[in-house]
Amino acid sequence: MYAVDVQTNHEVVGNVLRIDLASSVPVYEQIANGLRAELVAGEFGPGTKLPTVRTLAIDLGVHHNTVAEAYRQLANEGWLELKRHHGAIVRERPRPQAGPDAVERFARPLRELIAKGLADGLSRSALVREMTVMVQKLEGGAI
Amino acid sequence: MISLTIVLTISGVVLLIAGLFWFMPELTRRDLYFAVTVPSEFRDNHAAKAILQRYRSELLLLSVVALTAFVAGVFLLGVRVVPAGVPLELAASFIAFYRARRRVLPHAVEPTTIREADLHSRDRLIPGDWVAASGPFILLAACAIYLWFQWGDIPLRFVVHWDAFGHPNRWAARSFASVFLPLLGTAGILAALTLILYGGAYWVRPIHAVGSEGASELKFRRAVLAVVLAAEYLIALQSSWLVVVLRAHDWGTPGRIIVLFPLILVLVLVTVFVFARFGQGGSRMSAANQSASSVPVGDRTQDSYWKLGIFYFNREDPAAVIEKRFGIGYTFNLARPITWLIAFLLLMGAVLPVLVGRLHR
Repeated sequence: MYAVDVQTNHEVVGNVLRIDLASSVPVYEQIANGLRAELVAGEFGPGTKLPTVRTLAIDLGVHHNTVAEAYRQLANEGWLELKRHHGAIVRERPRPQAGPDAVERFARPLRELIAKGLADGLSRSALVREMTVMVQKLEGGAI
Repeated sequence: MISLTIVLTISGVVLLIAGLFWFMPELTRRDLYFAVTVPSEFRDNHAAKAILQRYRSELLLLSVVALTAFVAGVFLLGVRVVPAGVPLELAASFIAFYRARRRVLPHAVEPTTIREADLHSRDRLIPGDWVAASGPFILLAACAIYLWFQWGDIPLRFVVHWDAFGHPNRWAARSFASVFLPLLGTAGILAALTLILYGGAYWVRPIHAVGSEGASELKFRRAVLAVVLAAEYLIALQSSWLVVVLRAHDWGTPGRIIVLFPLILVLVLVTVFVFARFGQGGSRMSAANQSASSVPVGDRTQDSYWKLGIFYFNREDPAAVIEKRFGIGYTFNLARPITWLIAFLLLMGAVLPVLVGRLHR
């Protein structure tokens, strides 16, 4: 179950996580969203070690606790196993059963995102194409 | 004759420093001009060129003044003025830099707020890894063991300091402290350099995590770490050489102490050449770096954290090692305790041999 936020502000290009310190989205959430996108796309298989909290904090120039919070969030969602002195390890994660409100929680931000795309001048076909590509890309990974 | 040699040698070093400062604005990242974040196209406009021209005029003038003061000082006050040569030139160059920086500050812009991190596992950056890094310590330990077993051969009084001409001018009586404390001092310096080596590998925040800029940056980091490692070996070699050869046997020959100078000179020249080729952070290696961006990346730090343009102090930043804004290589985040530990170790390494000379005279 993933939250799709129109104000995500994170970007992952070829296993590079980008965050925006000026964004209204909390940094820990940007980190968690960025990593989750990678995990959903299957970029990191089970057993893969992610950068340590310290390393990621230094690279992003944010406090260790901020990265630790993002890792904890992903661990709670079942993506990561956190081991003291061993960092974060990607777990095998079965596809969860979608709850009754899952579609609604997904549709609300999606509606806002589509509205923003249309407002920015994107055509309907361009939006559908983008979403199809995105879903195909993510579905290739282990969910 | 010897004074003239010393004056010429120090003058050469002074000219080298002035030369480095002369070219430094061209070796820094495009969107950092005199340690100020600016749009990357700024340095091509008229205002920037005028600032550079004035900086070089002032640098030239101040360097001539510093050199003249140094040479006059040596001939009027004697060789005790020799150590002042390099600090004088550094002060002159810094004044020129600081004045140029003040002229750039009105053109400052905010750097990007985007930060990036590579999620891949990291390559090992230290050449030869920890096997190579432990070499200098093994050399020192071997030296200490040798002295321990050759204790009887060490003269009762031996030289611990030489004057500017290479003549011994300070002696110490043989004791456990006078023989082994200088080695401990060198070990302190090596420990500090090893921390710097480790810091360069693990505590640096990459400015670009990917692309040609990221790849150039990584090559640059490897080159810097190779230079630090080479410096460690030279220091260990010099210390072992001095302690074993001069102290235990032929301690009175002045020529022996300069035997490693050519190696040091080679290291300095290779370092200058390689870094001039790379540019700061590998910025001259990457074609992508030349492209103008609407928001400057700079070094992804705010100008306000750079005191006088050279000292970085940021409590919020977990990175202990940061790319210099005006210079080649890295500097420390003064807000991190590890910086002060390294400074203490370097100080201990410099002070211990002097203490030995004074206490065991």
